[in-house]
Amino acid sequence: MSDVSRLDKLPEKVIIPMRQHDGIACAPLVKKGEEVLVGQKLGECEGSDLAYVHSPFCGTVESIGLMPNPTGKRILSVVLTPSECTQSVEFVPEKNASPSRLIQIIKEAGIVEYYEKPTYLALKPGKRIDTLLMNATFPLITRAYLNSLDKVLKGFSLMLDASGISRGVIVVRADDKESIKAFKGAVVDGKPLTIAPIIGKRHADYYLEDLDDRIIVVAAGKITYTPTMMNLLSADVMGRKISLGREPSDVHVVVCGVKSAKAVYDAIYEGKPYLENAVTVTGAVNKPGTVFVRFGTPIKDVIDACGGYKGEPGKVIVNGSRVGVAIYTDEAPVVKNTTGIVVQTKAEVLQDDTTACIHCARCVDVCPMNLLPTRIASYSDIGNYEECGQLYAMNCIECGACAVVCPSKRHLVQLIKYSKLQIHNIYAAEAMGEATK
Amino acid sequence: MAFMVSPPPHIKEGVSIKKLMWSRFIVLLPLCLASIYLFGFPALGNLVAGVLGAVFIELAIQKAFKQKVTIGDGNAAYMGLLIALMVPPSVPFWLPFIGAVFGIGVVKHAFGGLGSYMFHPALATWVFLKLSWASLMVPTSVPQLGSLSDLILETGAGFIADASPIAMIGVLYLIARRYIEWRIPLMYLLTTMVLVVLLGDPLSYVFTGSFLLGVFFIATETSTSPITKNGRLVYGIACGLLTVIYGYFTGNYIEGTFYGLLLANAIAPMIERSTVPKPFGGVEA
Repeated sequence: MSDVSRLDKLPEKVIIPMRQHDGIACAPLVKKGEEVLVGQKLGECEGSDLAYVHSPFCGTVESIGLMPNPTGKRILSVVLTPSECTQSVEFVPEKNASPSRLIQIIKEAGIVEYYEKPTYLALKPGKRIDTLLMNATFPLITRAYLNSLDKVLKGFSLMLDASGISRGVIVVRADDKESIKAFKGAVVDGKPLTIAPIIGKRHADYYLEDLDDRIIVVAAGKITYTPTMMNLLSADVMGRKISLGREPSDVHVVVCGVKSAKAVYDAIYEGKPYLENAVTVTGAVNKPGTVFVRFGTPIKDVIDACGGYKGEPGKVIVNGSRVGVAIYTDEAPVVKNTTGIVVQTKAEVLQDDTTACIHCARCVDVCPMNLLPTRIASYSDIGNYEECGQLYAMNCIECGACAVVCPSKRHLVQLIKYSKLQIHNIYAAEAMGEATK
Repeated sequence: MAFMVSPPPHIKEGVSIKKLMWSRFIVLLPLCLASIYLFGFPALGNLVAGVLGAVFIELAIQKAFKQKVTIGDGNAAYMGLLIALMVPPSVPFWLPFIGAVFGIGVVKHAFGGLGSYMFHPALATWVFLKLSWASLMVPTSVPQLGSLSDLILETGAGFIADASPIAMIGVLYLIARRYIEWRIPLMYLLTTMVLVVLLGDPLSYVFTGSFLLGVFFIATETSTSPITKNGRLVYGIACGLLTVIYGYFTGNYIEGTFYGLLLANAIAPMIERSTVPKPFGGVEA
């Protein structure tokens, strides 16, 4: 992989948010002016949904306060001035740990899944689980980890050990030839991996029954399964129906990412906490590519590493141009769930006028959830949220596919999101009414 | 550095209403050329009168009511062209002009403009003209397919659209690009063919330019057809059924197409309501 590089240049300052996933925020353990080492724990938290924060840099704490974040909000962060020193806390590998110890190490390392859940919680949902799915359907991210594929696979096996799940299925895109080729050459437990396509009713179970392999690779369609599409992923790969409001663990499936598998390997075989990630940079930059970036590095420095902006930048989008957030400043840091940065020039930024719906049904044709986006949005627009509910607005996963194809450029996602919020409020109000009766 | 902030999605497909409408307009142009070749100057005059009438009335209404002027999106011009294609070439120039004024002014704008009309403006206009100027709206002869060469250039007079069925071939490109729906034309064609063969009418009565115009351009009008996937299949079957019922009992499949489609427009909302798909994941457990 020639286009995967590592960002070694030290940024001027590093912003390490105390909350890098959708859970509990950590309390800072360091004070202003304190020296920190690589791998030192910066944030400690208590509760059930936590991910500790470690310092990926060696340096001095400059300040602690609210700083920009790629979510668009300002979040309590530790700001470091990194120094050239490479001194780290002592990393202790534990190669022969017991499953409960493995979970403990994963928890200590602060590893977070791509859908913003801490890995130690995701692996142990407290239900009977028979399959662990690895979502490798982000081609650029998967390719970035192909150099260290054996480590990823080892990490995946360790996740199986830690959680006591018997079978692992790695899901790749059917059109991602490069990754499939690399998986074909890979060896797990002394045996080459089996690559199987998902066709019709032949789901992963079909192949797992025939083979006595612990891990198989399946090529499933040409869809990139984003975090909101976990249920769809489980249904497509395992052929198990998941009703609304349930999650994959209800049908005995757990989903993990490529990045977390590599992080688990690092945590257990090298003793390192979760310190860096692959980030893809695309769009209007001079050298688009994939870069391994330590958490806390401002996005500005990542873009500089990719040759800087090409032309005048109009929009910087974090985590994909379909569902990502357009950030207002490139000072915001890369955090644990940052996967990609897209830069658009001033000319590329969309500024369309919304016109009337012509009922062309293009949104109906592309909706992965089989909804009628235009109808839900129209009812939402006139405030008839009950009708939205009857058209299954709550099933919407906000993937944005409908708004992409709309010839009238309507804000379908926002209208549907709003109706979901209102339906939620109606239910909450009803529940309150019941309680006070 | 200042960056633009907006909600997702940040990329969209380059398809717009303007593109959809003008591409349909362009695909109809070969048919217009064939009709001008066949019928001469009167056909050209009628087509121009139709388009001008439609654009004029849309401009007038939007100026009068201080709305945003949308003649640039091509919908008015496209509707005017369709209206002009659905009259006999022998009519005076003012007839398609009046028709276009009625179609755009009453059937489109009085019902709320683009996307809101419940009947296809060109269809409703055709019925209006047929009822108001019945003698003018009868073509000098009813075309039918005699030999294969008739597919290329029709020998009977018929309406302007009957000039050359093959000239509408460009519609296949629009279907491939998904600019035009494929479910409705497919089911419409299949249903009509099967029923006509079963009833024993010759297929040559059916495959005229007007029928194909109805199949590819009028039945697929987005505002007047259901949006659900299954609904579109059912709508195609309904169109075929209604066309054949009228055509079989009157022997005139051209009028059958237009009357059948008008009735199908009326039942489209009902079809949509009864074919709302079950979403992935079902309802909350």
